[in-house]
Amino acid sequence: MERNLQKNGLINAVILLGIGVAGFVLARYANSLAGLVSVVFIAVGLLVAAVSWFQMRLEDSERLERLELDELARRHSGSTLFESKDSEVFPAQRSREQFERFFVPIFTTVLCIGQAAAAFLLWRWLAQPALSVEVKQPIMPMFFFGFFFFVLFMFGRYSANQARLENDRLLRPGAGYMLLNAYLCLAVAIGIVVVQAGVPRADFYVARGLCVLLALTAVETLVMLLLEMYRPRVKGKVERPLYESRLVGLLGQPEGLVTTAAQALDYQFGFNVSETWFYRLFVEKALAVLICLQILALFFSTCVVFIEAGEQGLLERNGRPVSPPLNPGAHFKLPWPLDRVYRFRTQQIQSFEIGTTPEAAKEESKVILWTVAHTKEDNFLVANRLGTSAEATNTNNPDGGARRTPPVSLVTGSIPVQYQITDLSAWAYNNEDAPSLLEHLATREVVRYLVGADMNEIMSLGRLEAAEQLRQRIQAAADGQKLGAKIVSVGLQDLHPPVKVAPDYEKVIGAIHSKEAKILAARADEIKTNALAEAKATNIINVASANRIRMESDALAQAALFTNQIPAYQAAPSVYVQRAYLRALSGSTAGARKYVLLTTNTHDVLQFDLQDKIRADILTDVGVQPTKK
Amino acid sequence: MNRKTLILATGFLIGVIVFLLLFTFQVRKSEVAVVTTFGKVSWQYTEPGLKGRVPWPIQKVYKFDQRVQNFEDKQTEGLTRDGFNLITSVYVGWKITEVTNFFPTFAGYSEPIPEAERNLERLLSHAKSAVFGKHPLSDIVSATDNGTNFVAIENEILTAVQTELRAQRYGIEIDFLGIKRLQIPESVTQNVFERMTSERKVLADKSQYEGESQAAIIKSEAERKAGEMMARAESEATRIRGEAEAKAAESLKVFNQNPELAILIFQLNALESSLREHSILVFDPNTPPFNLFRGVSPNLLNPK
Repeated sequence: MERNLQKNGLINAVILLGIGVAGFVLARYANSLAGLVSVVFIAVGLLVAAVSWFQMRLEDSERLERLELDELARRHSGSTLFESKDSEVFPAQRSREQFERFFVPIFTTVLCIGQAAAAFLLWRWLAQPALSVEVKQPIMPMFFFGFFFFVLFMFGRYSANQARLENDRLLRPGAGYMLLNAYLCLAVAIGIVVVQAGVPRADFYVARGLCVLLALTAVETLVMLLLEMYRPRVKGKVERPLYESRLVGLLGQPEGLVTTAAQALDYQFGFNVSETWFYRLFVEKALAVLICLQILALFFSTCVVFIEAGEQGLLERNGRPVSPPLNPGAHFKLPWPLDRVYRFRTQQIQSFEIGTTPEAAKEESKVILWTVAHTKEDNFLVANRLGTSAEATNTNNPDGGARRTPPVSLVTGSIPVQYQITDLSAWAYNNEDAPSLLEHLATREVVRYLVGADMNEIMSLGRLEAAEQLRQRIQAAADGQKLGAKIVSVGLQDLHPPVKVAPDYEKVIGAIHSKEAKILAARADEIKTNALAEAKATNIINVASANRIRMESDALAQAALFTNQIPAYQAAPSVYVQRAYLRALSGSTAGARKYVLLTTNTHDVLQFDLQDKIRADILTDVGVQPTKK
Repeated sequence: MNRKTLILATGFLIGVIVFLLLFTFQVRKSEVAVVTTFGKVSWQYTEPGLKGRVPWPIQKVYKFDQRVQNFEDKQTEGLTRDGFNLITSVYVGWKITEVTNFFPTFAGYSEPIPEAERNLERLLSHAKSAVFGKHPLSDIVSATDNGTNFVAIENEILTAVQTELRAQRYGIEIDFLGIKRLQIPESVTQNVFERMTSERKVLADKSQYEGESQAAIIKSEAERKAGEMMARAESEATRIRGEAEAKAAESLKVFNQNPELAILIFQLNALESSLREHSILVFDPNTPPFNLFRGVSPNLLNPK
């Protein structure tokens, strides 16, 4: 019987090897991601089956060795040679012990690391954006993975029963992996069926699920390794192989789970629930019926389709469109795979942006400035009338002549384009990727418009007109390609010079304000100057007018005075003259310094210092601080 | 329906589905299918519907999307006729027109459509650099031609690629072509930024000095206006003074009654005015009244 079990273990390993190689080739050929991940499980199962088979052989050798020694001991009873318990007398036993002590823990550790690394690497590989999820030639992998399920299930089931009947602990790990891999192959096949049913990423999701399962088995292996260090060793007790996964065993034989649950119920309720008519009728006998009903319900549920609000659906019967687009609501159709419905969001206004690559971190900013990059912005070439004219550039550089600066500038900004699907059939059947084509057409129109537009115009007064013109051009391009879409709006609100030159644009605005400030200051100065001049002019005229009055009245007064002076003069001419002279002299010289030279027989020398005197007020106005005592 | 019938019905249904999947296939409206029997093309389907087949490995079905495919080539750097570096990329809409040519050319590759696009990219790259090399930069970027040259360049590239495709007999055709990106290399971009900065500086300086100039003009104008007002006021004052002189002159004939006395009085008035402040006078003792220091006249001391 031991030989049979050993043979069984070897067959398991060979089957896993064969299916693993075939599965790998098939999954690569069909680009089945789930198929590729399932091959990793098959590889792990192969390693476990190979190690357990090797351990079986060691135990078998040990058993034969013990039989031989017993036979020899029986023949040569009394001889101490065969009563020795030394290890050198039992090399097979020693080999097995060494294997279990060193190789098994090392193998389990490597297995754990390998499972964890494979789970991590496969998850990362699946996360690649450029990864193709399209399953090619799906019928073939579906068929073969179904076949693998059948083979693995049959042999796995046989091995599991053998292990249970023979109570062979070493056949159990390989059998568990055989059954688990059988179910995984079935999952891969079902995933491909679902892909066929119209969920193109189903295979990808199955692959993701298998990665999670792989990571769980790695965690379980790690926990087993840790527990093994603290497990009490009881001599004579048969140990469970360290590399045997309970999780794999549970998943490979789910009926064990039902049995375990039934036992738990028995324990909880205090009587044998699992033996009641209810349990036997509804859980054990009706299980198959329930599964069949579930399958039928699933199949007939494909006869009804619900189109959500804002959506429309294209119904195809065997690939041929059979009706106008389905509007929101419930619709009946033939079951899958005859009829299929493809949904599109037709009423929703969809949008994309030209010229930027969104960056989540920068998009959170609530203030959008020219001088701060708020996304990863592309530069667009734009014509510039401020630069050298195009004609001048050409005429001056026929071929090899002096070259001038090209009349180009750069402008950045995000240009949102909003659109709506108006003709679903055209949208779905005229182009393989209508949104992508619309984005191409819109970008082309923006590029074409900008290279023919003046930068300063589109950033100022021409912005609205440019946006409308762009919308019309994109609409015309979309109509030209029969896209069946309506361009709702094109926004140019975020068009601005590149961040590096944006501060210089702001400086121009600053200079304009500075110019206005200077002009206003000059206006104020003008008002002041003119007002003062007007006042001064008025003053001059007023002074002149006053002088005129003074002069006229003075002349009249003097004439009147003279008329009266004449009789006085005629009365005493000499006296009058002297009196007038003396009166004038005394009056006029009252404040003057006077020197009277009395002696007449001397020669007097008079020295006059005619330089200006220091003004008295200067001396008097200067305050002198009193000295502090 | 008893348990057994239910299980049988379910099994039958699954069997029918498996049969359909193994012995038939669907061709969608958007697809074209080629069926090979032991590697040899036996059928091709361009119309949608349910088609029969013998299961693999006897027959194999290859399906291709017959809608217009979008493809954008890599951004490549080239030279314009006037020697400016330009980075360009174009997009094309292409489709399979003759599946009998397309299939044998690309069926050997694991991904026929991407392989066809790789071939297309080579043709595009060649045609694109050739066409851009024939045009000066101003044909592409110009504020005056309203994009006419731009469209002409696209048409030239399209014609060149279409000609090449027909010659190669790939079984594909380009429906449309558009220029998607026009950029200049990073190093040149920096220079353009510098030029744009200089242009802005010109505008900023223009505003600044225009402001100063206009302010100076306004001030000058104000000064001129003030000067004019002063001049007008001065002339008005002179005129008033003249009128005053004329009016005052009317009184002069009164003084003609005794001119000597009038002159004396005027002199005395002038003397009085001129000696009003800061005068130093040196008198001879003979000058009246300082002659009194020499003694009083005897006639006055001894009156008769």
